[in-house]
Amino acid sequence: MNLGLYARRRMRNGIFLGLSMLATAFGLGWLALILGSLFYEGFSRFDLSLFTQMTPPPGEDGGLLNPIFGSLIMTSLAVAVGTPIGILAGTYLAEHGRYTRLAFVVRFVNDILLSAPSIVIGLFIYVTIVLTMGHFSAFAGSAALAVIVIPVVLRTTENMLLLVPNTLREAAAALGASRAHIIARITWRAARAGIVTGMLLAVARISGETAPLLFTALNNQFWSTDLNAPMASLPIVIFQFAMSPYADWQALAWAGALLITLTVLALSIIARALISQPERR
Amino acid sequence: MVDTAFILNDSLLEKRQRAIDRGRRADARFMRTTQAMAIVVLAIFIGIIWTLLVGAWPALSIYGFSFLWTEAWNPVTESFGALAPIYGTLVTSAIAIVIAVPIGIGIAIFLTELCPRSLRRPVGIAVELLAGIPSIIYGIWGLFVLAPFLQQYVQPAVIDAFDGIPILSTLFAGPPFGIGIFTAGLILAIMILPFISSITRDVFEAVPPVLKEATYGLGATVWEVVWYVVLPYARSGVVGGVMLALGRALGETMAITFVIGNAHRVSASLFAPGTSISAAIANEFTEAVGDLYYSSLIALGLILFLVTFIVLAAAQYMLMRIERRAGGGTK
Amino acid sequence: MSGEVKVAIKNLSFFYGQLQALKNITLSLEKNKVTAFIGPSGCGKSTILRVLNRIYELYPNQRAEGEVLLDGVDILSPKQDLNILRAKVGMVFQAPTPFPMTIFDNIAFGLKLYERLPRSELEGRVENALQRAALWDEVKDKLHASGTSLSGGQQQRLCIARSVATRPEIILLDEPCSALDPISTAKIEELIAELSDDYTIAIVTHNMQQASRVSDYTAFMFLGELIEFGTTEKLFTTPGNKRTEDYITGRFG
Repeated sequence: MNLGLYARRRMRNGIFLGLSMLATAFGLGWLALILGSLFYEGFSRFDLSLFTQMTPPPGEDGGLLNPIFGSLIMTSLAVAVGTPIGILAGTYLAEHGRYTRLAFVVRFVNDILLSAPSIVIGLFIYVTIVLTMGHFSAFAGSAALAVIVIPVVLRTTENMLLLVPNTLREAAAALGASRAHIIARITWRAARAGIVTGMLLAVARISGETAPLLFTALNNQFWSTDLNAPMASLPIVIFQFAMSPYADWQALAWAGALLITLTVLALSIIARALISQPERR
Repeated sequence: MVDTAFILNDSLLEKRQRAIDRGRRADARFMRTTQAMAIVVLAIFIGIIWTLLVGAWPALSIYGFSFLWTEAWNPVTESFGALAPIYGTLVTSAIAIVIAVPIGIGIAIFLTELCPRSLRRPVGIAVELLAGIPSIIYGIWGLFVLAPFLQQYVQPAVIDAFDGIPILSTLFAGPPFGIGIFTAGLILAIMILPFISSITRDVFEAVPPVLKEATYGLGATVWEVVWYVVLPYARSGVVGGVMLALGRALGETMAITFVIGNAHRVSASLFAPGTSISAAIANEFTEAVGDLYYSSLIALGLILFLVTFIVLAAAQYMLMRIERRAGGGTK
Repeated sequence: MSGEVKVAIKNLSFFYGQLQALKNITLSLEKNKVTAFIGPSGCGKSTILRVLNRIYELYPNQRAEGEVLLDGVDILSPKQDLNILRAKVGMVFQAPTPFPMTIFDNIAFGLKLYERLPRSELEGRVENALQRAALWDEVKDKLHASGTSLSGGQQQRLCIARSVATRPEIILLDEPCSALDPISTAKIEELIAELSDDYTIAIVTHNMQQASRVSDYTAFMFLGELIEFGTTEKLFTTPGNKRTEDYITGRFG
């Protein structure tokens, strides 16, 4: 055996594996930097007033109450509308329509929508809802967010349902249960954890989405519960305040960013815990 | 004693028949409902394309294809051209891919072959958490932390270092703004990094262990197993993952709007400010006055959607191939 | 044992985590002879093979205790370089594992790891290996086709050619025919007989008839223990142990 060759191979092995280690350090390094800045800048402004006071004019004290409220409302509405559509459509893809042409096309289209530019979705809702209604509104904002929720929920629902073993369905059918009965009572229940995870992931995803709200819900400096009018949201307010030249607005922007990040991280962790939790019989 | 509850009689048969009929009707309703929802998804997709086409038509009918290569963007004289936004979108995404792909694959290699088992889960989860951070966070971090840093330390050093060298001095010419196309590309790279490494890692884990054992069995080193067997086997999956990341990068708005500079200009220098399609729409749409301005912005949206559609469709095709490979066997 | 001992296994025990899969195994493999390992599923026969080229080192909670002497040198010692060991010990797996490369490159891969060869010599060695695996005639016109384009039996012979190309001293075959049809199986069994002239072969098989056809020595294992070891003829015609007899006559397993 050629020992010179062997030594060279070992060196090459060492070099490339060393590089991959550097790559990981690089990747994790950015994570640490970004989270570090976020916590450092956001924490100083992170107090109760964020949740109790409204957005102030520059130079005055305030909080993020109305954007937080707005985000909560629009997110809830988007999830309330988008989840059933996503679950039912995902059920069609996995159950009734598993091998049909329609399912193939919808799956393809859904995967495109999953990664499509969210600003384009904003344009779509602007033309179809805002122009028709004649004004910006929280409805429109929720609709735009719902369009983002649907593909996420559809994908996870379909995947989770496909994981349910066929023997389970067959056992229920052998008892004489109807198709709808089997799906609703047995299959959905078996895939329950995964479907809920899908919802959580969808919420995490839309919590930080800004672009689709830019020209649908617009923004609102004041407190509003009117769904038919523009509504503030956390990402939009962060955008506005961060781009401004005022230091106190910028501080609020950081605090808002920290809040969103903490929410998203918490949701991801819960979603992950749900998936790995063994089902208690 | 016979249990009378189990004797089949007419009333039992009747009840059973009615239950079956009810079930059958419910089945039909349920099936139609789920099918309708699936069609809703399709309708949304078609709706998006339709509204974009209709909205963009006025601008496209006036400019025609020259829209794609006209740089001028003047709301006052009402002449619009998509060149600067298209350039910005393509260049920032290209920078992001060039930086993120080797590093992302490197991370995947580390996680699948090198990382001590006990660290594998935490590091993997840390990388995935990075993927979940909303893009606006990257945006403001870029604006307040990265851009000033680049402006003060990195960019001047690079400009001086490349001064006089033929191609590099124009690519990296001053003044050091801090914000600009390069910064936007860098932020985009950090954003898609966890995405690429996560998909690559999934694809690597789908390589049959027997194949790796056979390679080790011949006496190959870890790197040789990765380079000669794992990567070629997983090739279409990795390419698919990269294209998926590219699709996301092309459409990204908030991460780069803060730092791209918002100048409708195509400059030779990567350090110069520019704009991207999504940034242009985000910044200007609500203030667009005039039908042509409005229509031009929608035309930009149409171009973006078409480009991402092609990239994402190609990505899906590639990923489908690796799935079939893993599920099937030889041949 | 009449001839020279190539591999001496002494008091070998093996553990998957807490589970002990091999219990104090002692036996020897004679040079240039075929030794078969038979026994019901889970008896440890594949495990023994995987100790011989220390492929188990890829997995953290698997460990071996005892001694395995290859030409007098203990290969279980931490000082043993794994790559050098695997240059001497080749392995063919149950499922055919062609690399995602051309047929030519599949064979050349192992060669290029160890030797710097001019192109003509490389081609000669590849042809040689394919001939020894009785595959040359079938692939000589399509050396640049993908390894995965071959049939199952051909792929397995490709894997054999690949191990043979690097001139190992020992070849380990882990149920090489279990995924193949009877005709391919017959071809590979012929191959094994020829290869044993130059290599020491250890083969694990589920198929007792196969063991009795191809091997010189047979080891019968059960639940991690070596129940009986002897010449194939003796073990199959007059087994010393009752359990061996029960297994061979199909009373269990």
